[in-house]
Amino acid sequence: MKTLTKGQKVSQGIGIGKAYLYRHYEPRIVENFIDAQKAEDEIVAYQITKKRAMEEIQKIHDMLLDLNDEKAKIFKAHLDIVDDVAIDEEIAMHIKDSHYTYTYAIHLVYDMFIEMFSQVEDELIQERVADLKDVKLRLLRISDGVEESNLATFNEDKIVIANDLYPSDTATLNRRFVKGIITEVGGKTSHTAIIAKSYEIPAILGVSDAMIDIKDNDVIIVDAIKDIIVINPDESTLNTYRLIQQENLDQKEKIKKYLNKTSITKDNVKIDLSINVGSASQEELSFEPYVDGIGLFRTEFLYMESDTMPSEEKQFHVYKKALSHFKNKPVILRTLDIGGDKTLKYMALPKEDNPFLGKRAIRLCFDHLDMFKTQLRAALRASVFGNLWLMFPMVGSIDDILKLKILFNEVKQELDNENIAYHKDVKFGVMIEIPALIMIADMVCDLVDFASIGTNDLTQYLTAVDRMNQDIASYYQNYAPSVFRTIKIIADEFNQKHKPLSVCGELGGDLIGAPILAGLGIHKLSMNATSVAKIKQMLHHYTYDELKNMADQIIQFKSEQEIIDYVLKSHKEKGVNDV
Amino acid sequence: MYKKQVIITNPSGLHARPGSDFVNLSKQFESTIKIHRIDKPEKVANAKSIVFVLSLGIKKNMTVEIEANGPDEEEAVNQLVAIIESGFGE
Repeated sequence: MKTLTKGQKVSQGIGIGKAYLYRHYEPRIVENFIDAQKAEDEIVAYQITKKRAMEEIQKIHDMLLDLNDEKAKIFKAHLDIVDDVAIDEEIAMHIKDSHYTYTYAIHLVYDMFIEMFSQVEDELIQERVADLKDVKLRLLRISDGVEESNLATFNEDKIVIANDLYPSDTATLNRRFVKGIITEVGGKTSHTAIIAKSYEIPAILGVSDAMIDIKDNDVIIVDAIKDIIVINPDESTLNTYRLIQQENLDQKEKIKKYLNKTSITKDNVKIDLSINVGSASQEELSFEPYVDGIGLFRTEFLYMESDTMPSEEKQFHVYKKALSHFKNKPVILRTLDIGGDKTLKYMALPKEDNPFLGKRAIRLCFDHLDMFKTQLRAALRASVFGNLWLMFPMVGSIDDILKLKILFNEVKQELDNENIAYHKDVKFGVMIEIPALIMIADMVCDLVDFASIGTNDLTQYLTAVDRMNQDIASYYQNYAPSVFRTIKIIADEFNQKHKPLSVCGELGGDLIGAPILAGLGIHKLSMNATSVAKIKQMLHHYTYDELKNMADQIIQFKSEQEIIDYVLKSHKEKGVNDV
Repeated sequence: MYKKQVIITNPSGLHARPGSDFVNLSKQFESTIKIHRIDKPEKVANAKSIVFVLSLGIKKNMTVEIEANGPDEEEAVNQLVAIIESGFGE
């Protein structure tokens, strides 16, 4: 038995299962030759590798098909490619004529086709390049004798251990059997953290050397409450944890009872709670009865999950689905926020030294006006089906706001000219994440209908801490006193002018952050659907004056730790359940 | 040798599923089958190869020529033209 206390929890709970070490395969490509007489054997060896690749792909394809997952069609395309007659012929030729090993022949031939595809001026073909690369990698891995690593095909409880997980990895993640996630890099706001949270999978990230300390099939306990990882626990430890796990589930049940209650304080002050969504899936929309709206529709997932630029029609249908489902309740749609840690398969983004300070979100959109206008058109067209609030990310100046307004009006004008209907009263708002906006809060407030604070990026920019840089993770404080003071400035400004202000970052759905924000005068909080019951429960234990008083105290504290201790002590006195 | 020209009518052209359907149909014939775009006659693709067919970048409203050589050449060309004209159910 061994314990690790590195890393930080990003999704609470206890997970128990067998370790599964997930590695991205890195091929070693060497120009090697065979004896001329052995060409036929080499071709047979290629055929065997190819057959195994087809079996692997077929298995993933069938599994996705069973789950009714539309990603199955990607693997159908992979099957077509790996079994292509022309590729077979080319590889056989390279073996027979040039006496290359079959692995080197695979490398040459696939790269030839990748090059050929790259030259076709057609974005649909560009997308196939990713497929060719995937298939090539699979063949090389099999020929290298390395087992397939994917997060889909499990049949017992697993704890996934990885250096990092990409969206393509989590896309096929098995939600039934993956009981915990441990990665070597990443923090509270990484992609892995967001996925783990929304799937309610306990996760500890930033565990350096996890891939060395943990071996495949070790029994692992992820204690994502106390930030402890236990490797191969003894019987009594395992039993203790099973008990804690059960207690946890019981507490969760207690909290869940609050889901269908109104989000009010003990003395009936209403705090609007909304949810953050990524795709308007049935699961996300099913929370509608329990909340006051969608506080953040992250439209970038629509772009990231697709192999090509999503068309106006496709976007229109997704937005329409969310808007018509929420009827009169506001749906805050954030326009494309790409760049920083988020990239697109089909759009080459410039490599930057400081991507978070670089061409991100609206800065990128201003350079791709066709793409930007397509999104605005789709959103405006969908606006007739509900209550649309349109919000722009990475706004840093009044110039930005004016530029966006001109563009917004241009798109409206275009729709008018084409006699296409849209709601005349679509709200125009900005994300508050660049601190500069807070210094000019009065001017911003006059120009917008509403604003929403993205606390993750605001904290990163305000405290100059790159939230992806593991080396300085300890400088990123979730409850920095400076952040709360900054939020107070903007809250006072918006409240004075009676303009809606919400928080849609992690802080809004957090048991320590939410009561302070409410006390600072923010009456709209948006969060992951899984946090709604928890926050309602907390609100029911306080009067509004108590929250205000808490915020008044907090604003005078000098350190993050003082804030945490104060709020947790208060929760304990009030009997707030914490899971 | 037997050949015919046909205009692509389905929205996504010979990509994705339609491309796959086209190639899979080609594979059912014994004849060698080739396809090329009328506007780019120098690039001729093996119609039984998805990678070659894709690399032609065939889109809606383009005219292509399908040419077959072998025992079932007429049947092959006619059926391939028919599947294109059907719009692949898109």
